[in-house]
Amino acid sequence: MTLTGMKKHVGVLEQAGLVTTKKIGRVRNCQLGPRRLEEETAWLERYRQRWDERFDELDKVVEELTRKEKSDERKNRK
Amino acid sequence: MNARIESEPGPVKNRTTVERKSDREVVVTRTINGPARIVFEAFTKAELLKRWWVPKSMGMTLLSCEVDARVGGKYRLVFDHGGPEPAAFFGTYVEVKPYSRLAWTNEEGGEGGPVTTVTFEEKGGKTLVVLHESYPSKEALDAAGTGAADAMVETFDQLDELLVALGESSGQ
Repeated sequence: MTLTGMKKHVGVLEQAGLVTTKKIGRVRNCQLGPRRLEEETAWLERYRQRWDERFDELDKVVEELTRKEKSDERKNRK
Repeated sequence: MNARIESEPGPVKNRTTVERKSDREVVVTRTINGPARIVFEAFTKAELLKRWWVPKSMGMTLLSCEVDARVGGKYRLVFDHGGPEPAAFFGTYVEVKPYSRLAWTNEEGGEGGPVTTVTFEEKGGKTLVVLHESYPSKEALDAAGTGAADAMVETFDQLDELLVALGESSGQ
């Protein structure tokens, strides 16, 4: 990776709060920032779980209604 | 951020994916086994919505559910979350296009709450549901996590654990 490329990547991480950098002379030191990647992942996983549980229930309701509609159609055709 | 988490693909169960599109937006996708018309109904009819919106694992009981899914119409969901007061979630429908698109505001947190947009796309008898939540600020989204009421339940759970732990340590 080129130095410019590296700078760009670090810049994105810094903007996201995942790293902080400090320039000392010619060297730029990086360290983990206020927002930790694990926290970010845990947050997404909680969010996903909530919706996953909801959609599991929705699936049940929709499957039941779809089945009911099909059996009603069959009855009507008779 | 553009991190992405997906559940393991099961034999029958469809995957739910969550993606943080920007600092203020989250997108949830899931395929539901049924036509868009029925999925849309399950979102817009109170007697159906209340059957799935609050799964048992959330630790909340739905006390009432009112839905008027017309543009400008209101919804109001009241939960018992184990706290001293029930929690109400309410807002206004801003877009209602039967079987394809639905959008509502979330006003329980005052003005400038998130806007939820849902699109329904039918393919081969199944429906892809894309739910987009747009928050007014990054801070609001970070705080939302699992929703205010859920956070409350989690807080109580943590308090329970703490009390148990304290009880154990003082009993020694």
